[in-house]
Amino acid sequence: MSAINRQNTHIIPVDFQYHQPETVGEAVKLLEAHPDAKPIAGGTDLVPKMKQRLLEPGHLVNLKRIRELQGVEDRGGEVYIGAATKLRAVERSETVQRRLPLLYSCVRSIGSVQIRNMGTLGGNVCNASPAADGALGLVALDATVQVAGPGGTRTVKAGDFFAGPGKTVLGRGELVTGFTVPVPGPDVGTCFISVGRTALDISTISIAVALRMKGGAVQEARVALGSVAPTPLRLPEVENWLKGRELDEATVREAAGMVSGGIKPITDIRGTAEYRREAARGMAMEALTRAGGLEGRSQG
Amino acid sequence: MSHASTLQVLGRDTPRQDGVAKVTGREKYASDMSLPGMLVARVLKSPHPHARVKSIDTRGVSDPQAVTLTPQEVPGIRFCPRLVSTPEATYKDWRVLTDKPRYVGEPVAAVAAESEEAAQRALEAMRVEYEPLAAVYDAFASMEEGAEPIHDVIELNDQALKVERNVACQMEAREGDPEEGFKAAAHVVERTYRTSRRYHAQLETKSVLVRPEPGGGVTIWSTTQTLHNTRILIHEIFGIPMGRIRVVKVPLGGSFGSSIQVNTVVPIAVALALKSRRPVKLSLTREEDLHDHCSYQMVFRLKLGADSDGKLVAGHLDAWLDIGGHQVQAYPLLGCVVGWWVSLYRLPHKSYVGKAVYTNKVPSCAFRGYGNPQITWAVETLMDELAEKAGVDPLDFRLMNYIGKGDLFWGQGPTVKSIIQSCGVEEILSRGSEMIDWYNRPKAGSQRGRYRRGVGMGRGYHTSSAGAPVPGTVVDFGGAMVKLNEDGTFDYVSAMMDHGGGTMDANAKIVAEELGVPIHKVNIVNADTGTTVYDVCTHASRGIYSGGGAALKVARQVKDKIRENAARLLDAYPHALKFRYDPERDQAVIYAEGVSGRELTFKELAYAMRHKNLGTVAAVDSYRQPSCPPHFTGYFVEVEVDTWTGRVRPLRVVAGADIGTVINPKLAAGQVHGGFAQGWSMVVNEDLPHDPATGDLLNRGFLADYKVPTTRDMPNLDDFTVFFTDTYEPTGPFGAKGIGEGALNPVAGAVANAVQNALGVRFYDLPITKDMILAAVGGKEGQA
Amino acid sequence: MKVTMTVNGRARTFDVEPNRLLLNLLREDLDLTGAKYGCGMGECGACTVLLDGEPVMACMTLAVDCEGATIETVEGLSSGEALHPIQEAFIEEGAVQCGFCTPGFIMATKALLGESPEPTEPEIREYLKGNICRCTGYVNIVKAVQRAAEALR
Repeated sequence: MSAINRQNTHIIPVDFQYHQPETVGEAVKLLEAHPDAKPIAGGTDLVPKMKQRLLEPGHLVNLKRIRELQGVEDRGGEVYIGAATKLRAVERSETVQRRLPLLYSCVRSIGSVQIRNMGTLGGNVCNASPAADGALGLVALDATVQVAGPGGTRTVKAGDFFAGPGKTVLGRGELVTGFTVPVPGPDVGTCFISVGRTALDISTISIAVALRMKGGAVQEARVALGSVAPTPLRLPEVENWLKGRELDEATVREAAGMVSGGIKPITDIRGTAEYRREAARGMAMEALTRAGGLEGRSQG
Repeated sequence: MSHASTLQVLGRDTPRQDGVAKVTGREKYASDMSLPGMLVARVLKSPHPHARVKSIDTRGVSDPQAVTLTPQEVPGIRFCPRLVSTPEATYKDWRVLTDKPRYVGEPVAAVAAESEEAAQRALEAMRVEYEPLAAVYDAFASMEEGAEPIHDVIELNDQALKVERNVACQMEAREGDPEEGFKAAAHVVERTYRTSRRYHAQLETKSVLVRPEPGGGVTIWSTTQTLHNTRILIHEIFGIPMGRIRVVKVPLGGSFGSSIQVNTVVPIAVALALKSRRPVKLSLTREEDLHDHCSYQMVFRLKLGADSDGKLVAGHLDAWLDIGGHQVQAYPLLGCVVGWWVSLYRLPHKSYVGKAVYTNKVPSCAFRGYGNPQITWAVETLMDELAEKAGVDPLDFRLMNYIGKGDLFWGQGPTVKSIIQSCGVEEILSRGSEMIDWYNRPKAGSQRGRYRRGVGMGRGYHTSSAGAPVPGTVVDFGGAMVKLNEDGTFDYVSAMMDHGGGTMDANAKIVAEELGVPIHKVNIVNADTGTTVYDVCTHASRGIYSGGGAALKVARQVKDKIRENAARLLDAYPHALKFRYDPERDQAVIYAEGVSGRELTFKELAYAMRHKNLGTVAAVDSYRQPSCPPHFTGYFVEVEVDTWTGRVRPLRVVAGADIGTVINPKLAAGQVHGGFAQGWSMVVNEDLPHDPATGDLLNRGFLADYKVPTTRDMPNLDDFTVFFTDTYEPTGPFGAKGIGEGALNPVAGAVANAVQNALGVRFYDLPITKDMILAAVGGKEGQA
Repeated sequence: MKVTMTVNGRARTFDVEPNRLLLNLLREDLDLTGAKYGCGMGECGACTVLLDGEPVMACMTLAVDCEGATIETVEGLSSGEALHPIQEAFIEEGAVQCGFCTPGFIMATKALLGESPEPTEPEIREYLKGNICRCTGYVNIVKAVQRAAEALR
């Protein structure tokens, strides 16, 4: 039967068993025991995929009742965010607002209030969409992903977590428990920008920049883009090139050119590859300018 | 407002009568309805853009409650789902279920079962074998020799009609001598324009509930703009006597033209209900709805010539309509496209060739404006270019050439002509241009830097109904009933549908105004085909002008009867009696002036008439309006273009509308606000491309990839000004005209002209995407 | 699976399949059809209800995940014939046209005004961007929210 007759967004046209573990250990066991199991938290990505029959899991493992996956914690040099923390809770957290303004901007950019009341940061990351704004923020902040699995726990750098569209490095029975996000120092400026077709849209292209500055010079740079590659994309060559340079208009312009040339976008319904390359240049100029504390709204 | 000064009810904001039901969630739309013992239906849709169904195997359906339906089980009638034209203008090429699908998503079979889940399981157990055929997705490729024929034979005027080269229908028109006209022109501009396929995105998907009745009849609750045409079509297809078909009015969750025709789900659900002998509900999913209908995609080659004084002298238009797999109303649309065009500006010499072409895509149907937004965008874009060439300010150029009061007007096509009797174009343009500071707008292309602002304008109109002094090929009349209740209130009954604009409330207010009572004394009665006289359809912005015209005609008759009966009871002369409203008693009073005791409240009158067995004061009648007066609109829009991202933002909107007498100011302004949102989105976003690899929609039917504007995409409250002109339409009820479609038609032209003003680059394709803007700006001047 | 939740102030227990959506449970089992199916994918907001006071899309919420939850729908907003100030404001400002999006907008507005009693216009627009209206262009809706905020102050 063809897809057009199998999809049905009135209902979830898939039968599954539902599990509600209360500990990470139980969840891992369930995931390990059922190869066709999927973890679910907010359901904002999974439920639409099931309605479209893109995924037909035989088991759903609800992570929302697991207390240890919830909450935002200020740990001094870093902030810990539980994977099943709702995006709205991340956004409302004073710790996030104050200490991780870049992540705050990224999370605010996801969907609508309703979506953020349902969706979780872990879901935004594990969905492994190259357009996920939350994932982009974590990559740009060089966050660490905490993973639990049958073999115990491990950590993965956010930038290494994604293996392709919809694919992560998680193995069988593994789930993400949280994120450790280093808090940028007072000498770090950040900026996140995204462009969509309307104010409620998956990003056609997005960029997150973090610059550690001393005087007018860049000490350390992180430049990450969304929707320009199979995964959220860091650009080390641009970051290295920026390092030690005086940040002025010419530097910004040249770096933006490198960003534009360094991405590998495709053409899809949201935008053409050419568009993304061209927009990346302008967005990089704005993001570097703002993160570097140059004029707020440059007229180029 | 000079004309409005004597009005008591009209021109004031009054709460809509269905407001409480709508804000409390108690309003039941077709998709909300259910009945005991009801089955839920699902449609089996073609995955192929063009194919022959070789076999359908339902043996896999194991559910004993499931009822399946195949093309062999439905009447083999060819029909047109829209019944607004006379037979010689009605092309029939639809079937209830097809054995030759012509677009991805076309209904091939159906099933009803105890629940949506059960119906879905049954649907997936059905097996269909197809023989795929070559498919074509472009109107021009479709007309080429050797292209796969999409329809061989269709019907026109109940005669078989052979389709040649996939041309569904065509029309030509000519006045004067265009060739000579162009020779005399000092300035000529010719351009080719391409519009997109837009999806209505009405918030309620198409839905129907059908209950089979004892004796072979059916009761139907459906998303429709026309109760009576639904009944006629179901009668034609199934042969059920019309008295046994009852189509009941239910509120519509938006329509915008998508339900002018009887929806594909209706006859399918009727067939399932007849077969199963149980109520059947069929409500489309959003992805199915996106495969059900869209706007007409049009390509125009437009040429206009002006003399050295800036007067237009000649015009030629070629129009190609890509209509998708079936005709809903392609032929009347060919007439309207030329009508919309020639009724914007005076063209002594003009010619037109229009062709509607089949393609293997989702069928097109009317979408708010019915081609008018498309052609007005092209004309208003070209008018700017021609003005520039002629060295005249674009606004002044329009003032020199527009069609207004006293001019012949044939907006609804060559068979629907009348003379314009009211016109607010000058007021719209002068007040609007002042508010936006038109003459100080930037010089096109003069700006550098990232953000560039531009101001543009566009003007236009839409007809209020399709009325005319003589019959044409368009059916357009309506009717109403008004009766006096025993408590002195009135019931207003009409088959007319309210899409949400407040049409029925407006018409109730017209009744109240005529009868001299406050609006709370006129009750809008829910109705069905059995309790109403024919009304063609709520479309063509005819709700107030025609529906209100019918209400007024009937209210006058009721008033005469009140007068006659009161005269008898009061022993007075009917023509000498007067009316007033007494707020203390909350009653209208009829009285003989100066004669004490000779008065009756309407309640007393009805009371006395009941006890003296004199009957009910009531009237029912049909009404055909003598004209279809244009309601004129004009938009001045300021935009900001971000040349780094290609994003366009609306900064300021000034909209002027000549709708004659304003009946409900806030709801009338609401039409303008909504019209702007749709027109804006038509320019910057909306398109429904097909994937040439599969023939399916590129977005596969999901709104995630059909974006419509949100709260944040629209200008702030202080930056959106709407004003109405002081005009009075002599043929309209209390001077009123329409607004629904005029509110949209000129928006695209205004926005596109504003973008051109900001960038100095003109676009000839819609939508003007951010991709196109970056490509154009980048190609021109790099990262300036 | 058994699931107990409070809907518009009344405790209810249901026996549901795991794949049952909250939206269908409300509409079909309780005849609370104020929350609408608009897209089924979280794109339009017509199904917005409050779950423990927060607006969510009922079209993507599993009923089994609502164990112990408090659900408010538009039907629970007014008592008897007396309208809630938000409902009144929507009528007064002409914010209701076809009305299909109205319940979703009203519930989202209730949450907004609960969080932020004096929202600025940009705040209103940002908060309500998940609710699509195809009729009004949002002008009268934003005005209605402002009017309701004033009435509730």
